[in-house]
Amino acid sequence: MLQVTINHHPCAFENGISILDALRMLSIHIPTLCHDPRLQPYGGCRLCLVRVKGWPGPVTACNTLLSDGMEIETHSSEIERHRRTLLRLFAQRYPAAPARQFPDKEFHDDLRAYDLMDELRGAPDRSLVDDSHPYIRVDMSRCVHCYRCVRICNEVQGQFVWQVWNRGDSTRIRPHSQTTLMESSCVSCGACVDSCPTGALEDRSLLEHLASMSWTKTTCPYCGTGCEMIVGAHQGRIVSIRPALHSPVSKGHLCVKGRYAFDYHYAHDRITTPMIRQDGQWKRVSWEQAISFTAENLRRFVANYGPDSVAVLGSARATNEENYLAQKFARVALGTNNVDCCARVCHAPTAVAMKLMLGTGASTNSFDDIERARTLLVCGANPTENHPIVGARIKQAALQRGAHLIVIDPRRIELAEYADYHLPLRPGTNVPLLNAMAYTIVEEQLYDAAFLQERVSEWEEFRNFIQSWVPEQVAGACRVSADLIRRAARLYATAKPAMSIHGLGMTEHTQGTESVMCLVNLALLTGNLGKAGTGVNPLRGQNNVQGSAHMGCEPNHLTGFVALEQGKNLFESAWHAPLPAKKGLNVMEMMDAAEKGELKALWAIGYDLFLTNANSSKTKRALQSLDFVIVQDMFLNETAREFGSVFLPVASPFEKEGTFMNAERRIQRVRKVTQPLGQTWSDWEIICTMASAMGKGSFFNYHSPEEIWDEIRSVWKAGSGISYRRMEQAGLQWPCPSGEHPGTEILHSDTFPIGKRAALRRIEFNPTAETTSQEFPFLLITGRTLYHFNAGTMTGRTNNTLLGAADRLDIAPQDAQRLGLRNGQRVRIRSRWGEAILSAQLSPAIAPGELFATFQAPQVFLNHVTSPYRDAYAATPEYKVTAVAIEAV
Amino acid sequence: MEKILSKHFFNPEARRLSFYLQNDGYEAARKALTCMSPQEIIEEVMKSNLRGLGGAGFPTGRKWSFIPKDSPEPRYLVVNCDESEPGTFKDRHIIEWTPHTLLEGVMIASFAIGAHQCFVYARGEYVRYANILQTALEEAYRAGFFGKNIFGTGFDLDVMIHLGAGAYICGEESALLESLEGKKGWPRLKPPFPAVSGLFGRPTIINNTETISYVPVIIRNGGEWFSRLGSLKSGGMRLYSVSGHIRKPGVYELPLGTSLREIIYTYAEGMRNGRKLKAVIPGGSSTPVLTAQEIDVKMDFESLAAIGSMLGSAGVIVMDESACLVKALAVLGKFYQHESCGQCTPCREGTGWMTRILHRILTGRGVKGDLENLVRVANNIQGNTICALGDGAAMPMISFVTKFREEFESHIFHKRCTAVR
Ligand SMILES: Cc1cc2nc3c(=O)[nH]c(=O)nc-3n(C[C@H](O)[C@H](O)[C@H](O)COP(=O)(O)O)c2cc1C
Ligand code: SF4
Ligand code: SF4
Ligand code: FES
Repeated sequence: MLQVTINHHPCAFENGISILDALRMLSIHIPTLCHDPRLQPYGGCRLCLVRVKGWPGPVTACNTLLSDGMEIETHSSEIERHRRTLLRLFAQRYPAAPARQFPDKEFHDDLRAYDLMDELRGAPDRSLVDDSHPYIRVDMSRCVHCYRCVRICNEVQGQFVWQVWNRGDSTRIRPHSQTTLMESSCVSCGACVDSCPTGALEDRSLLEHLASMSWTKTTCPYCGTGCEMIVGAHQGRIVSIRPALHSPVSKGHLCVKGRYAFDYHYAHDRITTPMIRQDGQWKRVSWEQAISFTAENLRRFVANYGPDSVAVLGSARATNEENYLAQKFARVALGTNNVDCCARVCHAPTAVAMKLMLGTGASTNSFDDIERARTLLVCGANPTENHPIVGARIKQAALQRGAHLIVIDPRRIELAEYADYHLPLRPGTNVPLLNAMAYTIVEEQLYDAAFLQERVSEWEEFRNFIQSWVPEQVAGACRVSADLIRRAARLYATAKPAMSIHGLGMTEHTQGTESVMCLVNLALLTGNLGKAGTGVNPLRGQNNVQGSAHMGCEPNHLTGFVALEQGKNLFESAWHAPLPAKKGLNVMEMMDAAEKGELKALWAIGYDLFLTNANSSKTKRALQSLDFVIVQDMFLNETAREFGSVFLPVASPFEKEGTFMNAERRIQRVRKVTQPLGQTWSDWEIICTMASAMGKGSFFNYHSPEEIWDEIRSVWKAGSGISYRRMEQAGLQWPCPSGEHPGTEILHSDTFPIGKRAALRRIEFNPTAETTSQEFPFLLITGRTLYHFNAGTMTGRTNNTLLGAADRLDIAPQDAQRLGLRNGQRVRIRSRWGEAILSAQLSPAIAPGELFATFQAPQVFLNHVTSPYRDAYAATPEYKVTAVAIEAV
Repeated sequence: MEKILSKHFFNPEARRLSFYLQNDGYEAARKALTCMSPQEIIEEVMKSNLRGLGGAGFPTGRKWSFIPKDSPEPRYLVVNCDESEPGTFKDRHIIEWTPHTLLEGVMIASFAIGAHQCFVYARGEYVRYANILQTALEEAYRAGFFGKNIFGTGFDLDVMIHLGAGAYICGEESALLESLEGKKGWPRLKPPFPAVSGLFGRPTIINNTETISYVPVIIRNGGEWFSRLGSLKSGGMRLYSVSGHIRKPGVYELPLGTSLREIIYTYAEGMRNGRKLKAVIPGGSSTPVLTAQEIDVKMDFESLAAIGSMLGSAGVIVMDESACLVKALAVLGKFYQHESCGQCTPCREGTGWMTRILHRILTGRGVKGDLENLVRVANNIQGNTICALGDGAAMPMISFVTKFREEFESHIFHKRCTAVR
């Protein structure tokens, strides 16, 4: 502890903080302009000067470390005069109008506090305005040269957009492109806007809604990173979103989706009244009508065809509480285990592989480990686009901290630019490539012998098995040189701690589960498990995809990912109801059963399966065969449009309470910002009402999401310590088995849930049946992009469409030239299964012979093209490999 | 007094390696590398009392001793040849006429601090002189004085010459490092000082061209010999750049402690056209101005500090009675406004403000209170900026206005210059 005096009061502080930190802890306000806690101390504005006894001149508080014995004075008349003179210097060139119009801005506060509002002599200057960007307005006549925008873009986002031009008082901040923000490499994360103390950079939406706002902290409804945000509402309408500064995950940063893409709430086609289809036409009805009509039908199917004729799909977009209710509804109200969710089509293989091998089907480590790792192995993931906050952190680790980076991805994604090694493997060859890395580690004895001895089993068997996976022999098939495979393996095994991060490029294959197992093998061999900066870490796609399956929207597992048989007693006594014994169907099996006429009715909550499941013609046949399809969503999605019998309109995550679970097992609060729009209801209210209409109300007698959550805690030991009250501060990571438990950042430190040791798996390679031919010479990869989210339901209804196209087909320039295709040309891609039309975009990131397409535009319906092949363990469709032909239209 | 660096100025032969070798060239380096330990060299430089001749006057041997010892980390020597301080033009003479002296100094200094790579940073306008230095360097490489295994000692050293792009601020050591790293020349916050974390985050010693060029003679004749050349505390010789209204402007190599009067009247041969001396800037444009009454001061660090000025880079700018000091100061103000890097508020905003006030006074639109304002802003800058450019901009303001207040007031009152007919 340091003993210091501040304004003559003795106080004590811990080591390593700045003078400014200490003042803030004591709530002593001194003006600061260039300081932002997210950034390195800068010391440029010089407003934070204080007196320290014995120092020759005043000292900048923001970048001077507190040291023992300091005697600090913060508001002597000399210092105050000094600050005023400095602010007066600014005032000379600062325009008066904005200072009056936006009194809340940091800098305007200071001007008022030092009584300088009447000395503002600057003039607005149109030439300094840049109106090009749909979300961000730039007016550099209000710039006070704190350089926070420049620094946050460099230090947090790693995009280097803003640059300082000229010198002295001619200094100007402009994008590196020297043109407009829109033409620059800006990724629209809005960090600069959030940091700017004057409003020189401002959210357009905020400028349009000058009036006062109420701000509510909540969790982002987009991807599984789980960033926290504060949402500003004005007259019941969301008008602005800002990053939450103290979020453990996002640390005051957001991406373009979370930050700006919220206008879908008010899209003209959002459905706000329940509807029933009569004679092919949608008819608006009351909730009573909708519920009783639906309940009646469900009861009829259960009565006539048995409970297994009905299935429920939970939603990765809904809260944990709601997913818990969805599966409880299936099991208790209907009496079937036919319940699944869209985790099936993304990371189910991860959950299966990791559960089998390590005992827990979730990330072993946390995002904070990115900063602790010496080596990061990114496989089949494109974080800077699809998980931009994680991507930015990885980029900073590689750029600023010098962490090693290995990227395994067929495409030359942005992170490949910063990587030590990029292994551009041929799609579908994860298993041989990872096996060859394991071979190298074994052959060159780079494994962690102590870890193998203590924590790993089947080592001898594995050692024998791996002999045949010589890098030189797989190099051709993988299209990666043996040397590169070996180097990558050496780096991962020796520059420790090494952390692997993977995405759908690993899982959405017929060998999805096996690929993840290969990755776990690498971690086991090298001892990169159970320690800081290590582990196997899936980047989960949707906000609550980890939670939806974990809450039990899974045919074979109950809440907490407990196998049916294992949890039977506990759940039967908790629910006071018998559990169905028969194994349930997963989404893919539901489709098979529907086609065969065994499944009659389906309740799809927040899941547009027609649009998003692979091989749409098959999905179509299945959905057509159903007698009754309930769609619960914010929009009339493709499933509803074509096959819906009832449509139940829901509240958005900003319109309700609850929790989400992010990719690092952290459960965070979702809070109501505005009232549900129109007559929309929360999913949990709909499920409870439906249950009571079916005569099962006593099992679903909840008055708030918190009540539901408390029931979840009672059946799920690992989450029992995570109460709403504790989550008020910050989310907690399970396992957290008691109210005092701090939560678990790193799994498997001493043992695995399956015992002291985990077994290495001997994975053979079964290539996919989907291969190129003369007729279908290209391999198509499908995926996502920065500006759009999954099927585009939300982002497609926002100005993100102005920032990036959602119907893009990337093609190598060589291929385009050969086929005579231009940038932007409409092209048809055709597979053995169907076809779709997109716009060609020439991209050097894609290898010749391969194509990359986004599935984010409903009108494109890319899944007409994808194949019916599925992962052997988890039934996840093979979205990542389809043989196609391409032609101009 | 025998000249050291300027002995062969203006002799084109002198820049050749053959000439240099005939005059005991590289013998000091040979001695240092083969007979002395790095520590002994540093001690010798300490004994010499050599102080930084780039402006700040920091004792050179002390600076070298800050470099971490026994660490495997690479370290660098950087020679500051940015020479942008108005009134200073000595470094240019060194690289133009005796480039091998600098290179020999580089070799000794690098060996002393354990650097295997040295960068010479020359201002962009010095392309001609940098080419001369480059030619000399290539000659020395060919003769085996640079590169691998110098003098068979196993010591390796490479030298690279880098040209700046025309910013005064890049003479400030940390801005120079940023610029060398390929970034915008913005000074860094200190600490850490370059000796701990400098170029690319590695320990780095930055010295002025002249400072390094005196090292060979110190090694050859001994530190004590050098220290006895001047007044007691700051030993040795230095190059004075003398310019302005004098008969014979130029670079004069004289012992520290030579009086300013002697420099002006004896060496520079007095005032031009029989005019009267009015003001002298003693150490480059950033140092406080002196009046004609103050020129008996000894030109060394302590004596100038004692009368509130500085020796700086020893760029003596002499002004006679025909100089309008309002105009002179306005020109200086404009320089600092133009050269302020823009990073910190007092300097970025203050230099512009001061210049605008001066311009107002100059064009007859000055008002009462302008001078107070000027001094207040200057006081606000001084001591409160990231780097010393701010101080350099403030000190002339304060000293001109204080010492020649009447002239400024009269200018404001009469709305024109009254001091000069
Ligand atoms: C604005 C500014 C400009 C400077 N320009 C130069 C210069 O052109 N040449 C120089 O040697 N030192 C210059 N300096 C001083 C350097 O920062 C540094 O002190 C010097 O290079 C150290 O070398 P020395 O110890 O040998 O003097 C400048 C300092 C400031 C603040
Ligand atoms: S635009 Fe804003 S954040 Fe950027 S330097 Fe100017 S005032 Fe600071
Ligand atoms: S004092 Fe001037 S030159 Fe130095 S850092 Fe500040 S703005 Fe830049
Ligand atoms: S806040 Fe400390 S210098 Fe700007």
